[in-house]
Amino acid sequence: MEVNIMKKYIFLALAMFVATVANAATTIKIATVAPDGTAWMREMRAGADAVKTKTSDRVEIKYYPGGVMGDEPAVMRKIKIGQLQGGALTGGELSAIDKDAQIYSLPFLFKTPEEVDKVRVDIDPLLKKSFEQVGFEVLGISGGGFAYLMSVKDIKNKDDLKAAKVWVPQGDHVAEAGFKAGGVTPISLPLADVYTSLQTGLIDTAANTPSGAIAFQWHTKIKHMVDLPLTYVVGILVVDKKVFDALSAEDQKILTDELASAFQRLEKINRDDNAQARDALQKQGVTIFKPNADEAGQWESVGAIARKQLIADGEITPDMAAALDKSLAKVRGSAK
Amino acid sequence: MQRMRFMFLAVTVALTACASVVNRATHQFTENLTTGILNEDDIDTVHDGVPAYLMLIDGIIEGDPENASTLLAGAKLYGAYAGGFVGDPVRAQRMADRAYNYARRALCVREKKLYDALQGPFDQFQTALNQADKRDIETLYGFAAAWAGRTQVNTGDWNAIADLPKLQSLLMEIAAIDPGYDNGGAYLYLGVINSIRPASLGGKPEEGKANFDKALELSQGKNQMVRVLYAQFYARLVFDKELHDKLLNEVLAADPVAPRLTLINTLAKVKAKALLESGKDYF
Repeated sequence: MEVNIMKKYIFLALAMFVATVANAATTIKIATVAPDGTAWMREMRAGADAVKTKTSDRVEIKYYPGGVMGDEPAVMRKIKIGQLQGGALTGGELSAIDKDAQIYSLPFLFKTPEEVDKVRVDIDPLLKKSFEQVGFEVLGISGGGFAYLMSVKDIKNKDDLKAAKVWVPQGDHVAEAGFKAGGVTPISLPLADVYTSLQTGLIDTAANTPSGAIAFQWHTKIKHMVDLPLTYVVGILVVDKKVFDALSAEDQKILTDELASAFQRLEKINRDDNAQARDALQKQGVTIFKPNADEAGQWESVGAIARKQLIADGEITPDMAAALDKSLAKVRGSAK
Repeated sequence: MQRMRFMFLAVTVALTACASVVNRATHQFTENLTTGILNEDDIDTVHDGVPAYLMLIDGIIEGDPENASTLLAGAKLYGAYAGGFVGDPVRAQRMADRAYNYARRALCVREKKLYDALQGPFDQFQTALNQADKRDIETLYGFAAAWAGRTQVNTGDWNAIADLPKLQSLLMEIAAIDPGYDNGGAYLYLGVINSIRPASLGGKPEEGKANFDKALELSQGKNQMVRVLYAQFYARLVFDKELHDKLLNEVLAADPVAPRLTLINTLAKVKAKALLESGKDYF
């Protein structure tokens, strides 16, 4: 009898143990450069809250904002050793693990936001697949907007740009190739040093979205902006595929849906923010120069040379480049 | 004719003298009122009672629209109420806007050049700031405080964000003129501003930390809101949980009663408790 009771208890304890393991909450730790208090963090947190509620606490997302986990290589190292499970980074930063992550950053590629929207319907799924091949699940892609050339000097054409001291983000081969195609030898610096370098005169020209330029306070130095989209900035949230695959199908769906909708909301917020920031830049005395069709054509030919070079250098895979060309041709109505 | 002119002059002088008596009395009244409110230890009383005084001050300003002292008193009261007592963001914005507009009118009366440079580019503002009257700390600080309050409740407004470097310059100027003014309040605002952008994006959180430490020193550790904002902005930005919790626990343990700080300290305790709670999720 006593043995029976003992057995019963042991069984009960075991059952409880098994139940606990099966219900163990998964915590997904995600690092990002976006500071707390920004729309990025607000919406990503809202997504995380919805995931937690809808999975009945089985999946919890924890963010490390403001770059506290270090730069992209540091984040990737931490993902490798399991200290982190994911990152929300820019396409440029993620190009170290998947070159095609910078597909939208190709210089002077897009003309309007509408073009980007349509192309992304075709290309986003390919990008997701491409990340899967390197062991990451993409949970969200959102446009941060177009980056424009901004300068202390009045830049109206290629010759003006050649005479400028142009910044490119450290390790950003796409931006570097773009400027080199335009005959410029750019100065590579970490983003953190740009503001000080604009103050000291080490650089006088840098590209950014209007909202980025204001958030980083570059507008206190910048006086001119060229009104021609240079590159398209995207933020991408990726998580370790092993962690994602270990979740139940139901939880995977909740995680995917909720973060995708958070990134969808960001799309609109970022667009509105950039429109307002552009007005604010003008109010702060920044003049916006609109190139005529001829001048725009010149800049676009620089972009074409750069894109060719980037594909030749293996910075973008030929497959992705071809898919992009096809999609863009379709959007522009010249598909045969 | 000549006599009439003299009479006119005499009346004007009498009126001016009379107005200045009224001004002094008004100024004294608003000062005492502010002190009384700041010494209050019951948040609900202030929450329920102050709106009546806000309307009173509106009335006084209505009757004497170019009196900079009254405008600054109105700005202070509206700003404090918007920042500490109004939960609804739309109302908070409306009241912080009123505080800002009162302070801006005071600036227009006393520092016209700086007022004119507000809308322009950063370097023009900087030039005007260099020419401002260094003795006029009351106006400069009153305006900066209202400006900071308005920025804090308008975080989605890109014009307000774009103006931050100007506000920062103004606060640095105030700190240089009179570091101890309002218990080192300029350093408190600077601490917040310098703790918004992480170092990876070109921010200078270490300067923010130094600003908060200076604000603590200048207020002799008696203003608990310094610790709350230190935790909320700096400690969270650099992800220092230990510092975050230490500062907030100090707030909870502190005696809130201090001249002109009792109300703020009582509010700080409420905020500290909430931050400690939300910190469990944040870190």
